[in-house]
Amino acid sequence: MSKIKKIAIIGTVGVPANYGGFETLAEQLIEELGQHHHITVYCSGKKYPKKDRKQIYKGAELKYLPLDANGIQSIPYDTLSIIHSLFYADVLLILGVAGAWILPFVRWFTNKKIIISIDGIEWKRDKWNFLAKWYLFWAESLAVKYSHIDISDNEAIQDYTAARYGSLSRIIEYGADHTMKVPLSEQTIKKYPFLNRPYAFKVCRIEPENNVHLILEAFASTDKMPLIVVGNWDKSQYGAALKKKYGSHPNIHILDPVYDQKKLDELRSNAALYMHGHSAGGTNPSLVEAMYLGLPVLANHVSYNRVTTENKALYFDSKDNLILHINNLYTAKLIKIGDEMKEIAQRRYTWSNIAKKYFLLIEEVLDTQRKSPVWAETSTVAYQKLLQKNLAHLKTN
Amino acid sequence: MNFSNIIILLTAFLLTLLFIPVLRKAAVYFGLVDKPGQRKIHIKPIPLVGGLGIYFAVTLTLAFIWPVHAIILNFKNPFIATTILLIMGVIDDRFDLNALLKLSVQLLLAHYTFMQGIKIESLHGLFGIFDLSGDFQYILTIIIIAGVTNAFNLMDGIDGLAGGIGITGFGIFSYLAVLTNQTQLLLIFIALTGALLAFLYFNLSQKQKIFMGDAGSMMIGYILVVSGINLLQNAGTSGDLSIAAAIVVSVLMIPVYDAIRVFKGRMKKGKSPFFADKSHLHHLLLSLGFSHRSITINILILMFSLIVIGYFFLMKNGITWSFFVTIIILIITTNLLQYFQKLNLWKSRIKKMEIHSGQF
Repeated sequence: MSKIKKIAIIGTVGVPANYGGFETLAEQLIEELGQHHHITVYCSGKKYPKKDRKQIYKGAELKYLPLDANGIQSIPYDTLSIIHSLFYADVLLILGVAGAWILPFVRWFTNKKIIISIDGIEWKRDKWNFLAKWYLFWAESLAVKYSHIDISDNEAIQDYTAARYGSLSRIIEYGADHTMKVPLSEQTIKKYPFLNRPYAFKVCRIEPENNVHLILEAFASTDKMPLIVVGNWDKSQYGAALKKKYGSHPNIHILDPVYDQKKLDELRSNAALYMHGHSAGGTNPSLVEAMYLGLPVLANHVSYNRVTTENKALYFDSKDNLILHINNLYTAKLIKIGDEMKEIAQRRYTWSNIAKKYFLLIEEVLDTQRKSPVWAETSTVAYQKLLQKNLAHLKTN
Repeated sequence: MNFSNIIILLTAFLLTLLFIPVLRKAAVYFGLVDKPGQRKIHIKPIPLVGGLGIYFAVTLTLAFIWPVHAIILNFKNPFIATTILLIMGVIDDRFDLNALLKLSVQLLLAHYTFMQGIKIESLHGLFGIFDLSGDFQYILTIIIIAGVTNAFNLMDGIDGLAGGIGITGFGIFSYLAVLTNQTQLLLIFIALTGALLAFLYFNLSQKQKIFMGDAGSMMIGYILVVSGINLLQNAGTSGDLSIAAAIVVSVLMIPVYDAIRVFKGRMKKGKSPFFADKSHLHHLLLSLGFSHRSITINILILMFSLIVIGYFFLMKNGITWSFFVTIIILIITTNLLQYFQKLNLWKSRIKKMEIHSGQF
């Protein structure tokens, strides 16, 4: 066991986790890594009012910055966190690329070790305007080039970084074992009588890249099973228009966001089918959570989802294809897929497993001077040499 | 602008309008057309007769309008060089000449031009340098004449661009000619402007489209740079020469910088600087989804802005500053565009990766 090191976790909204994937990750890391290392987490003062702030949480030190952790403010938020951490930390664990512009300077002028999780291909997402895309595209390149280790949450993202930067990204996904199977209460059934027969379920941000429109359209044209979609319908025009169009459809039930984890688990863990329309981002926490709950998954066919589900779920690539899938569902098939999803999630998507991977990366980064490329060792050997040694088949381009 | 200037503009314009339809027919017969290819942007074969049309119209205009027929005689040597360049260009358009051969001929013509006394004698205070020694005059003149001729040739990649830059260039040179009392040069510039306007009419039309071809673009580039040098040489002591110098430089800056940037990019990739690819300024804008017309307009706006900004800094801080500021603006602009092109490239690559299979 190595010496106790000081680790700064940068780029999350903060802990205790009330928000997304990175925050849950930070909280899990405190629990798992806190036994071996001294951890500091940077938190957004905007999300934690003064009276709720803790200085120490589960043994980790908390620092508050009066900035938002998301949107444009994430740039100064991450940057200031990084600068502050330089005064004491041995390892900077940075989640997200917003502050990456400063990493070249950190590398040039300090000996701090940098692990950065690039969190999907953020610059490609429709929700950003072109300036944000430009910045994120650039920041990602700095994050990969100037970190000691970079983390992708999905094999498909790893392939992308290998293609663009020629360096090997490590894959660490998310955990899902904070979700629980909760039986449907009578009270809930009374409130939502449609839960009485098998139903399909979807929870996501209501955005075009999650293909909500396509899924609603498909379920509107079949009565095989009802669909329940939970999301922030009123936040965008896209959501409001869909809510208006499908709000009174007998086969579709549109619900507002559910922030109570137990309530959400109750609704989703009893579903007969989990619909996953995400087309962007890498490994989506909502998908691994559904898998952990043993739900059969019918997902958008993009590479990220295929990799997350190890190609064992059902996939659709168009509306017609989706309708075909829905109409051809039968119980035995659903149970089989659900079991397979559960098996994958228990093997790969538990927090202890994820935290262990982070722990090993931290051990590794302390001895890392620079990143290794993805090129084969033979790529630096002249072809003639390979030929002489009868190794010409190892030639790479 | 007085009456005879307008007559010249109109004559050159009308003669070009008259010649080009005839030349189009002949071009199809002789195979002097640009066939659509992988790297080309158009679909039908397009006659490459713009250069010939402009040449005939301008020559006739200047030769026959009394009393200025003397102009051609006064500019006999550059006129001969222009003619040789045009003939080589037409052969190149028809049979595709070797890039090195073209460059050699351009260098020879640049040498000839220098020997006839058209040369860069002074930097007019750029980097604090004024008069140049003989050797430097020679080297700089040769490089700049051959360089601009080539750069202009490379710039000619989309509808209206080479014509638009030519018109803007000759328009601004006309103004400088008026300022420095060089009436004969002024008449040449006006005739060229008129002919280029008529060329643009065909170049931008759908039914009778033509290109200026290598013949046209090299000719216009050569005339621009040689007349620019000549303009400065003969401006004498009329006023502050650095103003005229700065304006000539900013007129030629975009094609020249773009050519250098593209050559550098190709060599960095280990390719020949003449290896054709899609990295010119207009290609960058094309890949961002701009139309031909808006690309031409945007590049012309950039050109005007450079001239205005260059002029502003010239007045405030001198010619060296003016040069640096304009070149930095150009560098930043092209870098941003290149960056955006890269982003779009990766976007489409990722799209393919996402869809084609889970395991790619």
